[in-house]
Amino acid sequence: MHCFKTIEDIKSSYTRRIRQIADERIAGKKVVGTFCLFVPDEIIFAAGADRVILCGGKNDTIAIAEQYLPRNICPLVKSSFGSIVNDGSSEIRSCSHFSMVDMVVAENTCDSKKKMYELLEEYVPTYVIDLPQRPDSPEALQYFLQELEKFKSAMEKLTGNKVTSERLQQEIRSSNEIRQLFHKLYELRKKDPVPITGLDVLKILQKQYFLSPHAVKEYLNTLITEAEQIIPDGKHKPRIMITGCPMSGGNTKVPDIIESRGGIIVAEESCTGTRSFLDLVEENKDPMLALARRYIRIPCSCMSPNDRRTDIILDLANDFNVDGVVYYTLQFCHGYNIEKNKVQQALKKAGIPMLFIETDYSESDIEQIGLRVDAFMEMLS
Amino acid sequence: MISVGIDAGSATTKAVLVDSKVMVVSKNIIACAICPTGFDFIAAAQKAYEDVIEKAGIEKKDVDNVYSTGYGRNSIEFADKAISEITAHARGVYYLYPDVKGIIDIGGQDSKVISVNNGKVSDFLMNDKCAAGTGKFLEYTARALEVPIDELGSLALAATKPANITSMCTVFAESEVISLRTRGLAKEDIAAGLIESIARRVAVMSRQIGLKENIAFVGGVAKNDGIRKALEKELKLSLFVPQKPQMTGALGAALHDIR
Repeated sequence: MHCFKTIEDIKSSYTRRIRQIADERIAGKKVVGTFCLFVPDEIIFAAGADRVILCGGKNDTIAIAEQYLPRNICPLVKSSFGSIVNDGSSEIRSCSHFSMVDMVVAENTCDSKKKMYELLEEYVPTYVIDLPQRPDSPEALQYFLQELEKFKSAMEKLTGNKVTSERLQQEIRSSNEIRQLFHKLYELRKKDPVPITGLDVLKILQKQYFLSPHAVKEYLNTLITEAEQIIPDGKHKPRIMITGCPMSGGNTKVPDIIESRGGIIVAEESCTGTRSFLDLVEENKDPMLALARRYIRIPCSCMSPNDRRTDIILDLANDFNVDGVVYYTLQFCHGYNIEKNKVQQALKKAGIPMLFIETDYSESDIEQIGLRVDAFMEMLS
Repeated sequence: MISVGIDAGSATTKAVLVDSKVMVVSKNIIACAICPTGFDFIAAAQKAYEDVIEKAGIEKKDVDNVYSTGYGRNSIEFADKAISEITAHARGVYYLYPDVKGIIDIGGQDSKVISVNNGKVSDFLMNDKCAAGTGKFLEYTARALEVPIDELGSLALAATKPANITSMCTVFAESEVISLRTRGLAKEDIAAGLIESIARRVAVMSRQIGLKENIAFVGGVAKNDGIRKALEKELKLSLFVPQKPQMTGALGAALHDIR
């Protein structure tokens, strides 16, 4: 596959971004840490703050978290918590950005995260946005709107800046630009053969909420230009869509296995995938209401019912001409693990084969997963 | 065309040699060999390969293709191609039993259920990450009963009141066996309980992918009558067990290019 200059640049963007955040903080800018797509970037930036995502994808810091948290909760929650509370007394190192935030902006999604945030409060100021979990009712929208208003005030208090409608409109337009660029990039993935691997796309998806919007736009623009010029080689590979849990920075285990064993990932229905950009925020409307409307529709498995997700999976499978779906979950992620059943039924009905992989951040099961992926590829060829 | 399939499993390495010319007239495979895998996967594969060639009375140069399968499939360098054991079992069983719709394979370190349509895999499920429902589960718990694993099945057939083993975890099941022993339960009843627990686990997996009829039972554990009967009871149907159930992976690999 083609080696993209942009992807190489993204790989080396970490230290540049850390320096940027350090400089911002010295200059008095506030930086918040987020975990989830339900937290609108637009409000944070409109308040004149910056943000970095704190979802952990590293296996190492899980051992630290297990001093405080039960072993049988998802690795993402443990890795994140471990990275934040790491006091440096062990040999295990956290990535720098985990200790560079003035406040954590959390959200009530799954049980493990909710309860973890309660413990986190002891180590770093933590603001929690509550989420209605039956998203389709008008009452839910009203409630979520109120929660976002409260969050807006909290951001104003943190930064000392007023969040005006104009600033919000500006930030909505800016975030929509990123969403549209992702649409453009994904459009190229509809080609067969595909000009870009899933692993390469994941590199930018994982940094989407770490880098500044300015940098993300620049990378997307150059990446699209590069990808448009590529004439991919002619061999058809089984076209795979991944759906399920997010793959946080540092975690590329399953895409690595899939693409090293003959498959090619063409779409991801997950928080490190289409969910960040599929829906745009309505511009030139009441900005807070527009944000509430857009964000409440994110088809996270903490929502019930969550049939929208199944519909999206079927649409994407069709649009991206998918040969098979890999349903990816993290161990002990009950929401996605249970929802698997519904998705599987729907895919079966549509005649699309599905492979279920439940795993964690360790390397112990790479061979076992490899066997199942091999068999799945043989099944699809 | 002469092809050899090598199944490098976690416990044993199997080799099967077939000749496509012979197959037109008879279902006989030319030769097969089996040896313990041990620590050195590659040496075991070499040995099984040499044994099967010797048994067939031919020489290495007469072999057209070598296909590998099993956990060690990617490290066998003299193989022309590696095939997953899921595809290989489906192909091998289909050859022996053309009506096959489903396969249950209980191996040394995992168990698999495969849904088959005209010899092709249409769905499958594997139990891994843990030894529940695998040959290892039986090996460990048989040890706690001080019974050779081969005798566990026949011992279970003599049970009058099978014990209820509730632990899925191999290590905890072993302690459960010990506590049942201290409570004075008969060896036969504990053995039957163990076998029923593995049968229940595997039956759940088969139902998950919708296996209903024409199911074959393969893998080393299929040689064990007690387990076959427990599975049949649990699934409420009779299972097809090939004469050499541990060989279907190697057979399927050997047949990879033969239609």
